[in-house]
Amino acid sequence: MNTPSFNRRDFLKTTSNGFGYLAFAALAREQALRAAAEPAGPLAPKTPPLPQRAKHVIFLCMQGGPSHVDTFDYKPKLAADSGKAAPSVAGRYGQTKLMASPWKFGRHGRSGLYISELFPELAKHADELCILNSMATDLPAHPQAFSQLHTGTTQFVRPSLGAWTLYGLGTMNQNLPGFITLNPPGNATRTYGSAFLPAIYQGTKVGGPALPGGGGGNIRRYAGMEQASVSNIKNNRYSTDAQRTQLDLVQALNRSRMSLDGGVSPEVEGVIESYELAFRMQAEVPKVMDLGKESAATKALYGIDGQNTGAFARQCLMARKFVEAGVRFIEVTHGPWDHHFNLKASLERNCDAIDKPVAGLLTDLKQRGLLKDTLVIWGGEFGRTPHSQGDDGRDHNNKGFTMWMAGGGVKGGMNYGITDDYGYEALYNKMHVHDWHATVLHLLGLDHERLTYRYAGRDFRLTDVYGTVAKEIVA
Amino acid sequence: MKPTAPVLAAIFIATARLVHGAAEAASQAAIAPDQLAFFEKNIRPVLVQQCYKCHSAEASKVKGGLTLDTKHGLRLGGESGQPGVTPGKLAESSIWEAILWEDDDKKMPPKQKLPAEVIANFKKWIEMGAPDPRETKVAAAGGGKRVIDMDQGRKHWAFQKPVKKAPPEVKTEGWARTDIDRFILAGMEANGLHPVKDADRPTLIRRIAFDLTGLPPTPDDVKAFVADQSPDAVKRVIDMYLDSDRYGEKWARHWLDVARYAESSGKEVNVLYPEAWRYRDYVIESFEKDKPYDLFLKEQIAGDLLQFDDKRDQAQKIVATGFLAIGAKGHNNRDKRQFIMDMVDEQIDAMSQSMLGLTLACARCHDHKFDPVAQRDYYALAGIFLSSDTLFGTYKGVQNNNTSTLIDLGREAAQPAALAKISSAEFAALKRKYEEADKAAREAESEVRSMRTKERDKAGVSAFLRIRGTLDRAETVRADLDQFYEDGTPRALAMGVLDRDRPIDSPILVRGDIKQPAEVVPRGLVEVLCAKGEPLNISRGSGRLDLAYWIASKDNPLTARVMANRVWLKLMGSGIVPTPDNFGFMGQKPTHPELLDHLAVTFMENGWSVKKLIRSIMMSRAYQSGSAHDAANYAVDPDNKFHWRMNQRRLDAEAIRDAMLAVSGALNLYPVDGSPVARAGEGREGLTALYREVSSKPLTCRSIFLPIVRDQIPEFLSVFDFPDASLVNGDRDTTNVSSQSLFLMNNSQAQGAADAFAARIAKMEGAPLDKLKAAYMLAFSRNPTDAELTAIRNFWNKFPDQAAQSGTPKDKVQYAALSAFCQSLMASAEFRYLN
Repeated sequence: MNTPSFNRRDFLKTTSNGFGYLAFAALAREQALRAAAEPAGPLAPKTPPLPQRAKHVIFLCMQGGPSHVDTFDYKPKLAADSGKAAPSVAGRYGQTKLMASPWKFGRHGRSGLYISELFPELAKHADELCILNSMATDLPAHPQAFSQLHTGTTQFVRPSLGAWTLYGLGTMNQNLPGFITLNPPGNATRTYGSAFLPAIYQGTKVGGPALPGGGGGNIRRYAGMEQASVSNIKNNRYSTDAQRTQLDLVQALNRSRMSLDGGVSPEVEGVIESYELAFRMQAEVPKVMDLGKESAATKALYGIDGQNTGAFARQCLMARKFVEAGVRFIEVTHGPWDHHFNLKASLERNCDAIDKPVAGLLTDLKQRGLLKDTLVIWGGEFGRTPHSQGDDGRDHNNKGFTMWMAGGGVKGGMNYGITDDYGYEALYNKMHVHDWHATVLHLLGLDHERLTYRYAGRDFRLTDVYGTVAKEIVA
Repeated sequence: MKPTAPVLAAIFIATARLVHGAAEAASQAAIAPDQLAFFEKNIRPVLVQQCYKCHSAEASKVKGGLTLDTKHGLRLGGESGQPGVTPGKLAESSIWEAILWEDDDKKMPPKQKLPAEVIANFKKWIEMGAPDPRETKVAAAGGGKRVIDMDQGRKHWAFQKPVKKAPPEVKTEGWARTDIDRFILAGMEANGLHPVKDADRPTLIRRIAFDLTGLPPTPDDVKAFVADQSPDAVKRVIDMYLDSDRYGEKWARHWLDVARYAESSGKEVNVLYPEAWRYRDYVIESFEKDKPYDLFLKEQIAGDLLQFDDKRDQAQKIVATGFLAIGAKGHNNRDKRQFIMDMVDEQIDAMSQSMLGLTLACARCHDHKFDPVAQRDYYALAGIFLSSDTLFGTYKGVQNNNTSTLIDLGREAAQPAALAKISSAEFAALKRKYEEADKAAREAESEVRSMRTKERDKAGVSAFLRIRGTLDRAETVRADLDQFYEDGTPRALAMGVLDRDRPIDSPILVRGDIKQPAEVVPRGLVEVLCAKGEPLNISRGSGRLDLAYWIASKDNPLTARVMANRVWLKLMGSGIVPTPDNFGFMGQKPTHPELLDHLAVTFMENGWSVKKLIRSIMMSRAYQSGSAHDAANYAVDPDNKFHWRMNQRRLDAEAIRDAMLAVSGALNLYPVDGSPVARAGEGREGLTALYREVSSKPLTCRSIFLPIVRDQIPEFLSVFDFPDASLVNGDRDTTNVSSQSLFLMNNSQAQGAADAFAARIAKMEGAPLDKLKAAYMLAFSRNPTDAELTAIRNFWNKFPDQAAQSGTPKDKVQYAALSAFCQSLMASAEFRYLN
């Protein structure tokens, strides 16, 4: 709830008395402009307690669990021992054998990071990437791990990383939502929900499946973003002028109510402000989401016309535009990466679909000077097993997997943490999802132990009682 | 599937280990000088240098709840429940195990193993009886293992029985009408505040109508009330609304908020619960009939165990236990023990927050950090729920590993059905369909079984998926089949709870981990809420009946207070205890403790009648106050803690929607029995069917009858702060966010309501001004002011032309303007705020 200062309220009270509606409308606009100029309230930008290395987050969320041993975790011994019985791991569907990655790894950049041939474009950014090879999560089941990736818990209803970020930092453009999730999977409201945090911190969904449920691969989910937008953002009936006239009437009624209430009503004032913000959002959101004005070169950079790359390219480009416009946290989901079988064909197709768009995003952010303030994150809820499942697939692996981060205050050109020789389990510098959360908040200038919210009688944190910041990766 | 006996047995295989809480009581004899010297020379310096950083009261963060800076802490041990040191017994000294570095999970100090001679010194010291001069008690705060003092705990205000005191004397004469007013007025006077003017009649009836029915008063009701000058006019109008069916539909929803009611499992897989609506209807009927609140609670905890009048009554009491079955669940959990413990936790959480205003579930992993509730209290309760069979239904599927049967209420119970009767031929066809699907599933399975290992390996996942697919199909058909008797009559199935044949006690689970069972605790009640020395143990069966009677008792210090506070909060806009779901140490203190006790005791004296409680609050002058601003009062009490005026309150999401439908004349007060969820069917297909039904045509029933699928709350409700249906919530948010503005301006449901409202107005007789006034009466229960008429005229001068320019056909322009005007009324602040 907005609680404006007494002076402004007093001012409004005296000036609104006796004025006709035109005077009021002008006043309302003036007030709205002022509100936009000096944002207050729960979404106003806040100065974080720690040095702020990243101001924005773009989380490229790879739903389904992309295989790390085929992409960013190079395991020569896995290739050498391919076909041998997998050590001490009983597969769910019979005997298991180690399976070499069908793709070659090469060294890239001055840093010489190993990246597989599945990501030729992204590999050119090797020196920007901080590859986290020692990720771990509690459970090898999709829903629980996906929930933990976003909220820290496999079990309870808790606020998501984006909601915590918005709660901790506010946002920089009051005319846009502060936390936007593009194309979230069905049945994953939790990944952008605010749970017990005030509703204002929840993510605003753009796109996503038309059907509730979700679960397996849903083709419509990944069918591009042309139609997608913020709920109710467009008025299908009236022109902007007519709508403004209607809104002026609504505001006149609101103002009248306020004067009947003795001129002071924070509630009614809140309603008035929310209408003005909504009206501005109506103009602003489509503008930001309109990719038409982007240059051909930019579009080409992301691979927007590519048959396989187009959908994700549009989402990545939109993410950049949101960052540019001041949105705090943007999540972009891609999937499914759940390659139990047809690994060769499917993983290749998935990697191809995102390689150019992601590389384009990094290039574009860098060119515009935005990468230093924007933390770009790539990864899924877990990785996959070094042993095969059937002839051409890999099973879930929660004990060791890979994510990477770039920009926003992380060291580029480095690997953090190591898994064992085959990539089963994180051995050194293990980074549990809690540690990763702590580190992301740290980069944003937030202390994961102090970012708390009191609910049901105790102070809750994203990291519960866990989490260690990986200081080594902080630039 | 019902949890099988071995699964449960596994939960209860507890290691018989005694907690060495009394270890330090041994040997308080003076320490021999040579032993003291040994400690000071060889042990204390090591403890200080190697351990205190993480294990002392001064540590910034005490790890594992273990403090080693006092003798008491060292011997007690940490969260593991094992003593740190047991004099003379190496095997029962957990720090000994830790410094040996033999167990990978337990190596202390963590960075480097202690030198061999230091380890040898510790051995010698423990064997000589661990002499330790550090007598200072462990600090209670700071994370060290706390010992809960129950006597001290019982002194907390909310844990003492409410006592009725005479209302205070007041100085201002003539204002107070009821005892409630005397408490309120005394609070105002003590703080230099004065009451504001009473609400005018139109405002008052609007307030009463919305508060009791969730709907606006009709223009006729307003007219009659304004004209009625008799002294009991207010009482009459209150009684009229209390007696209306609309009252039950409004107040049931308040309870459904704290009962975290929903029709699906939520969490990871979100399985539909097609029979949950029976519990919803039970709650509506209970409020409508003013069922005594103590009975209402007893039925929800142990309705199946209570005496009943007839089959119908019995069915209703079983449906009531649905309270325990409708919580959010992670159906895809592969670990059945974990699933059951999580379900029990959810039950304890919902029950304790909603009925007792306590967060007992905090004691699952450790003693409650703030309240005097021990982990053993939690597991005493857990035993009660583990001894009960929670029946929530659902069918096996790819992502559903946890299912159960439902309770068949029987034909004689005469319960409503969500489905229409089918013919016996249809039933036979359905049965055949199932038999075929079942056969296909068996064949797929035996085919894969008969494969040679090599072939099976090769087929791998695809073989697995084939079995799974055919099985799922068979289960989906079985779900349909199970809905009917042989003659095609729909069966009345309910979610609920029944006692198990053999009750079981639960072990304490260290850190809530099912793999770490410790001491078994007998089933029982919460110690701090029982008088000292009163037996906590239950008398028979699971103990749910004891639990029900104990909660719904005049001796329970919390139950009546918590409910009185909930009702006060809904009517007055803020709770006497501002944290309605937490009356524990971390909850806020009551602003008017004596008033709260007055309400609680009177509530019990009046036979736990909720309607009487509501009426007594509404008859107070405090409730009937105006909501006008007053600068002097505001300066002293800006939050209106002392109720010097009525709070301006936003309507709940349901009331906003229902009022829009009512005003536009489109509200359907007579929905068909059941719920769209009940008609949707099982599994993923069910969700799809549900979505199709809901999105094809907006439902026009009252909001309480809308399908409440967790995480898929209808947008109309979620946008106006409908609470998270997985959490207990006694005090909803009321935000003012732009998504609400966008909804009211641009959403097709809002526009549809405006069109219907406009059509209703257009059909009325009379001059345009009369129609406009009629619209105002419907929407706001008052006439427009001159300033408003000017604004409306201005709107009408501009809007039609603009609409024409933007493509509205000429002959439709006036109608468009009327619709836009009606929409403006419904979108304005006054429509959704009560004064």
